[in-house]
Amino acid sequence: MKEILFRLENVWKTYKMMGKGIETHALRGVSVDVKKGEYVAIIGPSGSGKSTLMHVMGCLDTPNKGNVYVDGKETSVLSEDDLAKIRRRKIGFVFQSYNLIQGLTAAENVALPMRLDGVGKKEAIKRAERYLLRVGLEHRLTHKPNQMSGGEQQRVAIARSLINDPEAILGDEPTGNLDTKSGLSVIKLLEELHVKEKKTVVIVTHDSRLAARADREIHIKDGNIDQDRTNHNNSHSH
Amino acid sequence: MLDLAVKDLKEHKVRTVLTTLGVIIAITAIVSLGSISAGINDMVSEGISMVGSDIIFVMKSFDMSEMSGPPTSMQLESIKEDEIQEISGIFGVKRVVPIISKMMGGFFGEIDGIDMNELDIWGASDIQFKEGYWPDNDDEGIAIGYPISQFFDVGIGDYIVLNKKDVEVYGIFEESSGAYDMAAILPYSYAEDIYDMEGEATMLVVEPEDISMVEDIKNAIEEDYDDLDAMTMADAMAMAQEMTATLNIMTFGIGGVASLVAAIGIIITMYTSVLERRREIGILKAVGAVRWVVLKQILEESIIMSLFGSLVGVGISFFFVDMLNNVLLGGSNLALITPALAIGAVSYGVIITVIFSLYPAWIAVKTDPIDAIRNG
Repeated sequence: MKEILFRLENVWKTYKMMGKGIETHALRGVSVDVKKGEYVAIIGPSGSGKSTLMHVMGCLDTPNKGNVYVDGKETSVLSEDDLAKIRRRKIGFVFQSYNLIQGLTAAENVALPMRLDGVGKKEAIKRAERYLLRVGLEHRLTHKPNQMSGGEQQRVAIARSLINDPEAILGDEPTGNLDTKSGLSVIKLLEELHVKEKKTVVIVTHDSRLAARADREIHIKDGNIDQDRTNHNNSHSH
Repeated sequence: MLDLAVKDLKEHKVRTVLTTLGVIIAITAIVSLGSISAGINDMVSEGISMVGSDIIFVMKSFDMSEMSGPPTSMQLESIKEDEIQEISGIFGVKRVVPIISKMMGGFFGEIDGIDMNELDIWGASDIQFKEGYWPDNDDEGIAIGYPISQFFDVGIGDYIVLNKKDVEVYGIFEESSGAYDMAAILPYSYAEDIYDMEGEATMLVVEPEDISMVEDIKNAIEEDYDDLDAMTMADAMAMAQEMTATLNIMTFGIGGVASLVAAIGIIITMYTSVLERRREIGILKAVGAVRWVVLKQILEESIIMSLFGSLVGVGISFFFVDMLNNVLLGGSNLALITPALAIGAVSYGVIITVIFSLYPAWIAVKTDPIDAIRNG
């Protein structure tokens, strides 16, 4: 039995509409486990709560009710800075809109989480260059985000997510802004990280073909898990 | 991460320059105004260390409110010969040195006629000369401070005009002779001739037998002579302090308002910058920046602006103070930027900026990463 990396127990997330007293429940008592080394797709229509589920899992958001455990540690007792440390060391985020810092070069962007971990600029940049090579962008080291294509920017974001050697990569619609071809190559890169480096990969998508490539599909509907199924015959599975 | 702060400042060059300009103006105002009281303090303490703390100055009383026109037009009434004799007889008085002291026309300086053998009473015997030497008691010459020689453009053997009479320059003091920079000293007997004040004095310097007698002698003089004021060095010190206190209030008033305006400029800039960079701050937080890092990021930017602005402000002040000394104070060295003033002003500029940047920094720290990333 594999170790559990993320455990959510009866998690509720409620948003209050500003000043109107209306509450929206993004998550309504979700319980789910993600094991180390799993490749999971969270799929559902927009507004179903799938992104919120991933944010809560990745300590980017905190639940109103219920418990979240990361690597066996209960997160509700942790301070804001402790949560930041988990995000920095255990989790790498990849967002739909890349979220690179515009004024920084590709290498500087990739180096950022490492520098936030207290590593000096020179060393962090050196490591960043290795990871950019890993994602096939050795020719883009000193390019700024606006000098790169969407697919390239997303690869930079993936390199950034990898630099502190995290347990898991969480992708929030990582191919959402990309054309089919570069989207596919980004997905293949994530799958490769899953297979070769045994990273836990969790992606949020509304694309059922993308979800079908994962080992496991979690279907979200109205803030709850509608379906949780394992895909047995995927070629990239070990 | 200093490089990130520098990058953000560079991205908004105009805004950075304008905000920094506010700091420059504020610090220039504080340092330029503060230089006057710093200079006075410096001169007084240097003066006291030179003349010693045991002498008493005696002058005719005068009412400040009756004074009209600029200080250079102020002329003291003279003390008569018999009064000088009587004061010499007061118990505990070791010697009395009469001085004919006049304001110098066109310059912020003072002319003193004194017995050349008594120069030691106020430390003038220690003055070093750049050129020339003291005139003797029977010489018709004068020794002057270096700035005075510069101002009137005279050298040894040249003449300066006192009371419509030409007086030959015998000596020029070494530069930065403190209070003596602005003094012109000539023999008492010669001053008697020039100012037509036979046996009289505008000021007496009284030396007691012992320092413990200073207060007694001062009281004796003031009780016996209604029209005479006796001032000990402690009184002079207190007077100077009172004067600098007034100047300080002015400095902090004007400087305070200027720095408040500068600080508000910084808040606005940093607040705008934080709002503009919501996404960037969100990204930093999402990839694991702790609150302190975000706070530091904002503070670093304002510290760079205020440190740079303050240093430039101090630099510009040197120029202003030079102008102040040469134009308004007639070539004196009265206004002075002391190291304490410069360091104080820079620290003040930086500290006030940090305090005022805490609010925008706090907004940055409180940024919700998800919201910032989603909505920019």
